[in-house]
Amino acid sequence: MSVLPEEFRLSSSGRDLIADAFAKVVLVLVLLFALFPIWMMIITSFKQRSELFQSGVTLIPQAFHVENYINMWNRFPLVDYFLNSLIISGVTTIICLLVASLAAYSFSRYDFRGKDLFGLTILSTQMIPGVLILIPMFMLFTMIQQDVGIQMTNTYHGIIFIYSTFTVPFAIWMLRGYFDTIPTALEEAARIDGCTRTEALFRIVLPLALPGIAATGMFVFIIAFNEVLFASVMANNDVTPFAIGIQEFSTNTQTYWTEMMAAATVSSLPLLLIFVLFQKQIVSGLTAGSVKQ
Amino acid sequence: MNLKEDGILPSIATITQTVRDRIPLPSFGLEDETAFAYWLLLPALAMMFVIHLIPIVWGFLISFMAVDASYLTNWTQAPFTVDHYLTIFDWNSAVGSRFWFALRQTFVFGIGTTIGVYVLGLVTALLLNRNFRGKLAARTVVLVPYIAPAVATVFIWRMMFSSDTGIINELLVSLGLISDDIFWLVGENSIYSITIVNVWKNFPFAAIMLYAGLQSIPEQLYEAAAIDGASRWATFRYVTFPQLKPVTAVIVLLMIVWSFINFTIPYLLLGQQPSQSGEVLMLFIYNYAFQNTEYGLGAALSVILLVVAMVLSYLYYKMTMRSDVQGGAV
Repeated sequence: MSVLPEEFRLSSSGRDLIADAFAKVVLVLVLLFALFPIWMMIITSFKQRSELFQSGVTLIPQAFHVENYINMWNRFPLVDYFLNSLIISGVTTIICLLVASLAAYSFSRYDFRGKDLFGLTILSTQMIPGVLILIPMFMLFTMIQQDVGIQMTNTYHGIIFIYSTFTVPFAIWMLRGYFDTIPTALEEAARIDGCTRTEALFRIVLPLALPGIAATGMFVFIIAFNEVLFASVMANNDVTPFAIGIQEFSTNTQTYWTEMMAAATVSSLPLLLIFVLFQKQIVSGLTAGSVKQ
Repeated sequence: MNLKEDGILPSIATITQTVRDRIPLPSFGLEDETAFAYWLLLPALAMMFVIHLIPIVWGFLISFMAVDASYLTNWTQAPFTVDHYLTIFDWNSAVGSRFWFALRQTFVFGIGTTIGVYVLGLVTALLLNRNFRGKLAARTVVLVPYIAPAVATVFIWRMMFSSDTGIINELLVSLGLISDDIFWLVGENSIYSITIVNVWKNFPFAAIMLYAGLQSIPEQLYEAAAIDGASRWATFRYVTFPQLKPVTAVIVLLMIVWSFINFTIPYLLLGQQPSQSGEVLMLFIYNYAFQNTEYGLGAALSVILLVVAMVLSYLYYKMTMRSDVQGGAV
């Protein structure tokens, strides 16, 4: 806590009251800006199609029409797209967390040669443009298909392999912040009690880091769920994820906004709920590593 | 731990021996602990080797080769050429002129995003750093744009921006700011639209980082400022803002680089055929490589984009280091 706000309160001169009111107004404006699109999504999902074309600003729905939530499933195989997204993002999250938590633990606890280089490599992966990877990967997948006979494009394993690796550097960085907060004394005690290093890692450290791992997992899931660059080239036909499939609400002749917003609501609300539940870990994970507390 | 008193504390040698017996990992002649550290890193390194390193080297190679659809499976046979780089840097060629324009638009997008995200994030962080009821709720709401899935939110913006039925034009008209509907998603304005959406999406990140930075400023500095009779502005100018420099460095760097390589927002907001104004480099490369099946040229363009991103980061790093900023992401 900074001492500044108390200072403002103590001297309750008129100027400070105005400043306080001004700050509150600005904060409300910022919050409105943040939430407005979400509000528009929800109210549009309950609108009838004809209501969209009425002129004038309608910020509060007149009536709740739930038919968008029913009709959206019938226009194209939206259920499949949702399931594909869940499978791809879910498996990606599991693989990524397994690989990344081992690496992050090592990165957090041990001093080894090349540690700085490893950290730098992780960070520099964040500035690689996706297309630079996409073109060779597309060629590689095509070649594997042709020469080895294993289907790689438009398969779950192909896209999961790409996503789980892509998210690993980010996950290592975030998880390392959580591991740093767990005292090493706990592992040392476990080791003295006869645990091996591996046992100490799996029985003591990982369970303690579980909230952090869950928060990281949520971000990995979000990243995989929202990916469109690789998905648009490598995940079509049977494995089309929601991120690509939702574009089908927009046809050549018209866009089915009300149904699209219903689908968007269905995809957003679970994530937002999870976020509210894991808020503390998510916020501390976001800021870890960049702000020295 | 009262192990010592009970006399069951094993000697260090015994522990090490037990550990060695239980984990049969080869140690490459390294010290035991170091070998374990490397073993834990191995899966991550192997995966990153396949997905990050190999494709970058490969992409660099084919950027010098005339790889198109006919060479897709036997790319090693493709003829060597430097034409890609020559045409890209030739302002008068069809590809070159589009490239330079796209590069300019990418800078507009990146710099616009960075300024917007930072200013809005700083204002939000300062507001959140005050004492008021419902602070936690406010923080939660601020983070919503960052958490909500981009595929959903970009389409909301697309709906709100649409010229005939969109709420943004409706609001602007009813406030009397414009008289005719503006085209946000086609034509000149598309670059501003993607910037606005990117700012909306990322300002929570800056806000929460700066908020954490504000919380870590030592109270003594404010006490000293108060004793010196510093005004509110002077306190911000000489205490708060300098203390936020390390966080600022991280945010600015990440925002520039992340905007340069952002694909999701321009692609989903503007669609597959964006107006030239909104065609940032990522979209241009994607469209060119996959629509014209010019993979070699696409790779050359991607290499240039990577180099631009790296040079920008390096310059920025140098600049911030010179002004004695410590910390930072790189």
